[in-house]
Amino acid sequence: MERSYLGTWLALPVVGAVTALCIAPLAILLVYSFFQVNFVFILKDPTLENYARLAASDTYRNLITKAFVSGGLVAAITAVIGHPIAYHIAKRVTHYKSALLILLLVPLYTGDLVRIFAWRVLLGAEGVLNSFLIWAGVITEPIGALLFSSLATHIVLTYNFLPFMVLGLWLAYESLDDRLVEAASDLGAGRVSSFLRITFPLTLPGLIAGGMMVFVMVVGDYLTPQLVGGVSGITIVSAINDLFGTAFDWPLGSAIAWTMLAILCLFFTLAALVISRSTWGRALMGGE
Amino acid sequence: MKRATILVDLWVVLVYGFMYLPIAVILIFSFNASEIIAFPLQGFTTHWFGTVFTDTRLTGGLGITFLVSIPVSILSTILGAMAALALTRYKLRFRAAFLVMLFVPFLIPKVILAVSHLILLSELGIERSLLTIIAAQTIIILPFTSLIIASVLIRIDRRIEEAAADLGANRISIFRRVTLPLTKNGLMAASFIAFVLSSSEYVLTSFVSGRKQPLSILVASDFRFNISPTLDALAFLIVLANITLVGIGEIVRLKSRR
Repeated sequence: MERSYLGTWLALPVVGAVTALCIAPLAILLVYSFFQVNFVFILKDPTLENYARLAASDTYRNLITKAFVSGGLVAAITAVIGHPIAYHIAKRVTHYKSALLILLLVPLYTGDLVRIFAWRVLLGAEGVLNSFLIWAGVITEPIGALLFSSLATHIVLTYNFLPFMVLGLWLAYESLDDRLVEAASDLGAGRVSSFLRITFPLTLPGLIAGGMMVFVMVVGDYLTPQLVGGVSGITIVSAINDLFGTAFDWPLGSAIAWTMLAILCLFFTLAALVISRSTWGRALMGGE
Repeated sequence: MKRATILVDLWVVLVYGFMYLPIAVILIFSFNASEIIAFPLQGFTTHWFGTVFTDTRLTGGLGITFLVSIPVSILSTILGAMAALALTRYKLRFRAAFLVMLFVPFLIPKVILAVSHLILLSELGIERSLLTIIAAQTIIILPFTSLIIASVLIRIDRRIEEAAADLGANRISIFRRVTLPLTKNGLMAASFIAFVLSSSEYVLTSFVSGRKQPLSILVASDFRFNISPTLDALAFLIVLANITLVGIGEIVRLKSRR
């Protein structure tokens, strides 16, 4: 690889675009989090009032906790579902590897709203699943709790973000040396102990990378809980949305947003540290 | 061993079935001859598609979608190509920082990015318009295009480029006559996927759009609160268009590997 100014010149417009359209807006969001709102005007005297209100409020604290619990839960569910899939694609398929990966990603390209519409059609009280079960004689009364519940939210979130988990795990399985697993079984390890002691630790960076993506996207998703979650659909992100809309308290909204960003940042740093210590992460950073 | 293999196969089939279940459902009911979306099926009709195509509000929105998504697709592909080239062909001094920066727009929750754009626009006194949509969408699609193009660039045999250099080609002609032709398919795939992501983006777009609204915003409240066979037919058409575009892009990209 050559060290030349050309690389820098290529990177520069990209850095400029990200700075102008992502870093700068986030910086001004941080500045706003120290402002105050008075009736319909924004008072630009720096104060920590918003953060104090946030710390004192049980509602917001609970919503933040709920968001992170949901993120962790969906990350765990997708990990359990995704492990066999990633293993299958990486180790058992040769010809159709790309096809299987693409097939897994295609449902992602249907768009948020269309996907949620489809799930509402599917899970509704008079929807496809209930009417099918009644028609087939499995149940006599529609199951109301399918839609507009925390269960529905988590089903749809799992559906939305499973492909990202599989991608992370698949990359890790691709770089897993089969001979290590064989050696373990030659030495008498059972299937469970060879998974726990060889496969799992070696694919951990992929699990962390996939889990991190899923976690962040669940925490940041507000359409899914709002549209299929019913009364359980109020999330910290929808609270931010409300503060910037009807409630008109941009500074408090900014403070909540930056609190979320700070916590997410902490998780990222931890995940990045773990991944960069693995051989897998070193290869990634080294340019492969 | 045999039983475990069958179990994994079964699991794979089940999970792929789960991923395609919603798509199958909207496919089936877009052709079902009943106002009510429920089993049992009532017969075959193409009536609902007729209703979609004669709705002038929708066809107008589609025009705006093209006005937004074509520039977004071109811009994010060009920027993505620059980022991918810088990452795969040159030793950057701040490589790790650059990589992190590239993925920040992907990792920030969209609502948070949306409200910060809202503040920035109001501070700078910029009217919300198609341009603000194009700018905002380009930045969140950039990580995707960079990744797709980088995945193609990594696979190119570096020796071909080195051979061209040994034979006396300068940097520009190496790029124009070796790297670019070999990356062309990747660029096409990236721009198709960028178009699809742009045309179906909702959260960020809803915050930064002005009076002229693309299709994804126009139909948003319908999709959010109503259920009807006409909407189902519209959803199916959107899915079909998106999958076709992504499919063509991926086939083109896979062909370049051989």
